[in-house]
Amino acid sequence: MSLTRYLPLPSDRMGIIWNLLNIKEGVVLEYGPAGTTHFSMSLYGELGVDAPERLFTTHIGEEDIVMGDTTRLEKALLEIDEAYSPKVIFVVASSITSIIGTDLKGICNYMQKRVNAHLIPVEQGGFRGDYSVGIQFVQSLLAEEFPKRRETEPKTYNLLGVSLGSYRMRSDIVEIQDLLEKAFGWKRKTCFCYDTSVQQIEDSGNAKINIVLRPEAVEAAKIMKKNCDIPWVLGTPYGYLGTLLWIEKIANIIKEEPDPEFLMQIKEKERNSSMYQMNVRMLKRDVPKVSLVGEYHVIEGLASFFQKIGLTVANKICLHSLKAIPDADKTILYLSEEKEKKKILETIHNQLVFADDISIEMCSKDNIFFRISAPVVRGAEVANHLPIAGVRGTDMILEVVEQYFQILR
Amino acid sequence: MNGEQLLNRLTRLSEVETIKDVKSLTAALFPGTHCPLMGAAMAVRGIKDAMLMIIGTEECSYYTKHMTIYSEEFGGLYGRCVSVVLDDHDITFGCNKKLEDAFKEMIEEYSPKAVYLVSTCVVEIIGDDIDAIADIFTEQYQIPVMPVHTEHFKCENHLPGLERTITASLKLMQSCPCDGSVNILGQRMGNFKDTELYHLLKESNVSIGLQMPCGCEIEEIKRGAAAKVNIVVNMIGLPLAKKMQQKFGIPYVFFNKYTSPKRVKKAYENLFECLELPLNLQIEKLYQKAEEKRKEAEEKLKGITYIYGNTPLDCFEVNEFMVSLKMIPQVIQTSAIYETDGEYIENILKEENPYMTKSANIAPLQYVYDVLKPNLYLGHEYAARLRKKGIAIVHIDKVNSKLGFEVTECLIEELLCAAQEAKSLREENIK
Repeated sequence: MSLTRYLPLPSDRMGIIWNLLNIKEGVVLEYGPAGTTHFSMSLYGELGVDAPERLFTTHIGEEDIVMGDTTRLEKALLEIDEAYSPKVIFVVASSITSIIGTDLKGICNYMQKRVNAHLIPVEQGGFRGDYSVGIQFVQSLLAEEFPKRRETEPKTYNLLGVSLGSYRMRSDIVEIQDLLEKAFGWKRKTCFCYDTSVQQIEDSGNAKINIVLRPEAVEAAKIMKKNCDIPWVLGTPYGYLGTLLWIEKIANIIKEEPDPEFLMQIKEKERNSSMYQMNVRMLKRDVPKVSLVGEYHVIEGLASFFQKIGLTVANKICLHSLKAIPDADKTILYLSEEKEKKKILETIHNQLVFADDISIEMCSKDNIFFRISAPVVRGAEVANHLPIAGVRGTDMILEVVEQYFQILR
Repeated sequence: MNGEQLLNRLTRLSEVETIKDVKSLTAALFPGTHCPLMGAAMAVRGIKDAMLMIIGTEECSYYTKHMTIYSEEFGGLYGRCVSVVLDDHDITFGCNKKLEDAFKEMIEEYSPKAVYLVSTCVVEIIGDDIDAIADIFTEQYQIPVMPVHTEHFKCENHLPGLERTITASLKLMQSCPCDGSVNILGQRMGNFKDTELYHLLKESNVSIGLQMPCGCEIEEIKRGAAAKVNIVVNMIGLPLAKKMQQKFGIPYVFFNKYTSPKRVKKAYENLFECLELPLNLQIEKLYQKAEEKRKEAEEKLKGITYIYGNTPLDCFEVNEFMVSLKMIPQVIQTSAIYETDGEYIENILKEENPYMTKSANIAPLQYVYDVLKPNLYLGHEYAARLRKKGIAIVHIDKVNSKLGFEVTECLIEELLCAAQEAKSLREENIK
């Protein structure tokens, strides 16, 4: 990657921190320059990550670097342990300490004897990949470290692969909870990593099933299957049919029949949406096309939905690398060069473009746009009731499709 | 966390000689200071047609770009802040090749008049020679490319980033005949045209030349050496002023955001003497008015306790002024002690001996408030949280666009207002 004109892709370290900050009873201590911590607060604020007394920095000076002096870190660990009594302190490396090779594991090892909090070194200094890799790391780390199987709690599930860096994540969680409540009467237990705590993650070992919303969390699901014997299912429900299939997959694993009346409601919507295929055939001049730019699981899910209703999916561009996506669909592209992405997006005309604000900015104005991904640079995400996933999400997407059809001939 | 214990760790002002003697309240900081990269971005924001190119990690680039996206001066999303993001390969083998490619792309797309090439912590750690690269680009593309080093591990906060960016601009300046104007060096926020100093200079028919970094263009920087006098309105402008004096023989006058009326008057006198002009008659009137305000305020502010955080004012000068109003500083937070602070510190110590600590660490301060129970807090803090503790915030950012006696007046008004609020808060809390 050479010139970056817009926002660069957030690093693994950024993804790690914005996920860990959502865990109550845990503290994130950054071992590096204070400016990074201070600067990052505007992004966390934008993502709605509120972590009072859960984020600290040691700062680091020239002498610490030259002499390899880690006294600042040791003192900070003792202080945090005494002052805030967290259950866990995540000791996060910085780019500097990664480059100079500070042995965070070793430090945590000998400091563990002096503190009550469980010390977890996070040695990613931002050079091991992008935030998608960071999400994978956090999910696996939590799955390995905390969940314990004590007793199975009936009718409960965990959500894995939740990241507040994803656009409309809160709304999607509300929608998914609603779907599972209505379909099976099941309740959410622990969300990795939103609205949760160390205790809740420990207790997640008691859930009946793990619902894995994005592929980056598959490894975590496998760990929990091995350690706690929790079965898992991968997928976020997109589109009416996608939602039905998703419910069916879960039903097969939990061996419960979904509420037939609720299923009927979704099936009805699914039947009604078949008219779009007819609408497409009736067009004399245009071929309706959609370009999708966003996170892998969203692109995958929405592409399937649009194909089902008869739209041609012209572009499937993933905003993050595919390093953490097992068996990635080869038709979904990740373009590490900003200019390559720009080149493709500039050629799109009269399409439905589902993307992030920056990609939207790169496109010609003769398209119809709908935001499905961060970063959000125009306005802000406020609502918790406007999902992209599930039935409500599909309802909203179809309203945009309707708008698009109005410009087609 | 025990507030008493925290305070016991701190040194008093009388024990402090350099910033190294000032201790942090805790080793674990929140939120910590801003970094010089942000300072560099703030400086380039004011140089209207200059490009900012950051060389660093995703984080450095992301947060800086994020800040500039909402800035009209930077041109928004596709604005004049771009970056070269380094990966593990660049860290191992050096970033020259990537930088060359990115620079070429940037020149082709943006055609900038000048570029500030900003290196960050990782570049300084791996030791890539950005100065040499900047020289090569200058020659290759025939535009000025100024290297700015912003590693945070060598400095305390963002101000060196501003200072270095301004100072790097010396490279742009060329010798030219004196046009009798004055340059304003170091105004980092607000509009100089809104200041008292500007109006008084205009009244005396002094033309304003370069205003840096707030509101200038590359061509104006190039003509900067045409000035008769440089007016340094903040410490960040001092190194450039000294270099301009050395290179072009332009004298400078230090005209900080002083709060003491006597000091403001003295700064005006120095300035007009340097300009070889009679002192503007308004100055004496403004001085008398400010002195009267000061005397009136003393009665109302006497005995008011406060904790000093981070403000646009000169830390020790403003504290000296508040102590002269018989106010009581309990804790002073700072991130720098300059040579010029000696006189102010001496005067503070004649009356008070406050605790000293480094700024930008508000998390443990919460516990200190419970021990010291100050009336006021000067600086940025969570107002609602302080109100619950009966502490009023002194809103002082207004002084950003003030210079002269108006700074004194503004500060006094805000202090009086906050003192009144603090009184009401205490009464409410008692109820």
